[in-house]
Amino acid sequence: MATDTAAGFPCALTLDLPFPDARLASVALQALRVDKELSSLVKRDLSAVASEGSSDPTVLRIEYSAATNRMLRVAVNSFLESLALVLEVQEELDVDVVEARQGQEKSG
Amino acid sequence: MDITKKKRRIALGCEGSANKLGIGVILHEGDLTDPSTCTSTVLSNVRHTFVSPPGTGFLPKDTAHHHRAFFARIAKQALADAHLSISDIDCICYTRGPGMGAPLTSVAIAARTLALLWGGKPLVGVNHCVGHIEMGRAITGADHPVVLYVSGGNTQVIAYAEQRYRIFGETLDIAVGNCLDRFARALAISNDPAPGYNIEQLAKRGGRVLLDLPYAVKGMDCSFSGILTRAEELAAQMKQANGGGGGGKGPDGEPFTGADLCFSLQETVFAMLVEITERAMAHVGSGQVLIVGGVGCNERLQEMMGAMAADRGGSVYATDERFCIDNGIMIAHAGLLAYETGFQTPIEDSTCTQRFRTDEVFVKWRK
Repeated sequence: MATDTAAGFPCALTLDLPFPDARLASVALQALRVDKELSSLVKRDLSAVASEGSSDPTVLRIEYSAATNRMLRVAVNSFLESLALVLEVQEELDVDVVEARQGQEKSG
Repeated sequence: MDITKKKRRIALGCEGSANKLGIGVILHEGDLTDPSTCTSTVLSNVRHTFVSPPGTGFLPKDTAHHHRAFFARIAKQALADAHLSISDIDCICYTRGPGMGAPLTSVAIAARTLALLWGGKPLVGVNHCVGHIEMGRAITGADHPVVLYVSGGNTQVIAYAEQRYRIFGETLDIAVGNCLDRFARALAISNDPAPGYNIEQLAKRGGRVLLDLPYAVKGMDCSFSGILTRAEELAAQMKQANGGGGGGKGPDGEPFTGADLCFSLQETVFAMLVEITERAMAHVGSGQVLIVGGVGCNERLQEMMGAMAADRGGSVYATDERFCIDNGIMIAHAGLLAYETGFQTPIEDSTCTQRFRTDEVFVKWRK
């Protein structure tokens, strides 16, 4: 989806975040796209895309555009904090991680 | 498997509407077609509180940062304490509102992530106030109480009627707990473990004088911003007096202390709460009072309410700090009750809202 540079949102940024697999990219996408941006001067679009040479959508594409650079910075920083939370939950609480930890506790 | 057919039903609940991050796991057992067979068991209840320095309150951005920083740790602990595997859990419950925006959303994002990671488990958005009420009912076994819900964010007198928790009276401005918390800042009282707790302890050392503070009950409702302003003025006078200026004397002509201020503030605001609760009890014809919310931990409030209830031939029910202070288990419990009636929140609708009236919830799980 093209950013609205013509419609008064000249400050734009696209981040491509690679995930280990399409499932984790999809989880992040679904968790993070629910909440609307707080400011009407900021637009955000999230999608899962395939990296070059692959057909698997393992990359989370984050497209931001805003009326000013300051708004863009504030919005992106805030988003990255939420993203970091999603990543930590995936790292620490995914099904295989929890099962491995419980297996360790039983034998340990 | 249809949840209504399962004999053991388990929910994980996540709470973060204010400065407490709580995650808990609850077990419901029994036959849903015969509620008298149903029991609730707390499998785990883990909480971490964001405490700000004395003289300050907790701000949304810092509070959200705290919740994000502690969520994974607390969730792991809650799972471990419950001795469960992920497949045992039927649904993930989270606080939809009311409360502070950024903290609420930070917890919702993590809850969504868990639900998705764990094979697409259903999400249940819960009203924070209803969580307190249902937990209070479950722990105390109170039948048909008038509920006084008092915390840093809410002050409501509630009674159940026809599948809604109806608000009979409430604060017209700030919550009683907010009044106490902000007053604590004026005296630089520590926020650890909570400002209200420290006010309660300091108040026990006061009581020589009852200072004159504005008493603001308006019918079924009350207001606290006026009394807060006056208490802050007196605190300033007291500090000035200690610095050599005039003022800061009680009705007996002697200087009053912070302890006297704490005592007087508690006596006045709690009397207001007792009055509006009594008015609701008379209106509804109930003899039972259930106090929920963080301010409900206060033993002086419980004592005053107990005296009023006893005068009416009734009684007071209260829970201990595990349950009256914000916690994840109450969200799990209320969420599971709703889930058992077929309610769930689609992920694309799993937002949060700062304003969420208690009576907006359809209490389908009660007659």
